[in-house]
Amino acid sequence: MTPLEQYGLLAAFVLSTIGLVAMLRLIARSLGGVRKEPGKDVPFSGGELAPKPVWVRYHVHYYGFALLFLAFDMEMAFMYPWAVVYQELGLEALADMAVFLGILFLGLLYGWSQGALRRQ
Amino acid sequence: MTSPSYVLLFALGLYVVAVLEGWASTGRLRLARPLRAGVALLGRETVTPRRPDRVLYETAPVLLLAAGLLAAAVLPLDRGAVSVDLATGVLFVNSALAYVMVGLVMAGWAPGGAYSLVAGWRFLGQLVAYSMLIVMPITAVAMRAQSLSTTAAVSSQVHLWNLAAQPLGFALFFLAAMAVCFLPPFDLPVSSDLAGGVAGEYTGARLAVVRLARVALVLTLSLAVVVFFLGGWLGPVLPGWVWTFVKTIAVAATMLVVGRLVPRLREEQVLAWGWKYGIPLALVNILWVGLTLLGVR
Repeated sequence: MTPLEQYGLLAAFVLSTIGLVAMLRLIARSLGGVRKEPGKDVPFSGGELAPKPVWVRYHVHYYGFALLFLAFDMEMAFMYPWAVVYQELGLEALADMAVFLGILFLGLLYGWSQGALRRQ
Repeated sequence: MTSPSYVLLFALGLYVVAVLEGWASTGRLRLARPLRAGVALLGRETVTPRRPDRVLYETAPVLLLAAGLLAAAVLPLDRGAVSVDLATGVLFVNSALAYVMVGLVMAGWAPGGAYSLVAGWRFLGQLVAYSMLIVMPITAVAMRAQSLSTTAAVSSQVHLWNLAAQPLGFALFFLAAMAVCFLPPFDLPVSSDLAGGVAGEYTGARLAVVRLARVALVLTLSLAVVVFFLGGWLGPVLPGWVWTFVKTIAVAATMLVVGRLVPRLREEQVLAWGWKYGIPLALVNILWVGLTLLGVR
């Protein structure tokens, strides 16, 4: 298979997933509808209506981790091609990546020392 | 093996994992449970919340299911038996699994319920904790295979499974795999302290899809553990696909049972442990694999 055909097949997988879900929904619909009852469609919030839109305040207290995550995630993009040619290049490749990872790891240690790895 | 048999084998795997999931959570092994639960869910009312974000609400379960199935499509079941033998299969597994988080955050946001929304954000935090522990051990596997193809990852283990060559990577990947499928003790997004969390606002046929997606994820991640660390189809006497199947089910059963022996972890604990211990250990694993590969030459 050419790469284009492979991606076509993967797209077909997505389409058949959608088809499967649509089929399940149709079966469910054929078995009966939803009876209208007051308050049935309110999202659960402990017995009373939410006073305002629920998304107004949520403290994303893992923002420190998220910043570190961005740095490491970028680094992983470089590591895949490096991993493939690693055995050809040998010690040189190890040294290259050790410098790169070393600097990044120092960043992690610095963040740790400054309390970035704690619940904010 | 032919292509239809891949689908049949995967469906059989789904059924066995669903039976095992019931066994792990109720303690009773009932073979008809998945079918009865499926029929019951389809027969129940599929209630739509009052003001949902309609597009996200309908898309999220499909996306969750598609993410698991797509990742499974690039993993080999036997020698030469893989639905899509991508040259960058390893990378594709990663990118497909990233959509698990997208699906769960969408499902948390869409119904407009406070509890489901908090559950969605919690899973985003969990992703920040486990994501690196998925990616880094896989990189070490690719170093040994000298390729990003999943079949090459298996054939590189002919002489020594990656379980023995990089035990640290296996342990980290196994735990991270449990976090991806939000199994206990990492079941924050669907935890009972948030009234069911993300799954709480889904009912009837939609909930059936969410449950199916979770089972598919468990099966896919177990298959990934087997392909990357337990030698995939390699094994004596029996045909390769039988080995893959047996190993995958064994890994799935372990994942389903082990987590129930420990209390649920809070999101901030997962984050702190993942970054303080997990990532340094994953880097040590990469260094270890690098040094042993130099020694082999």
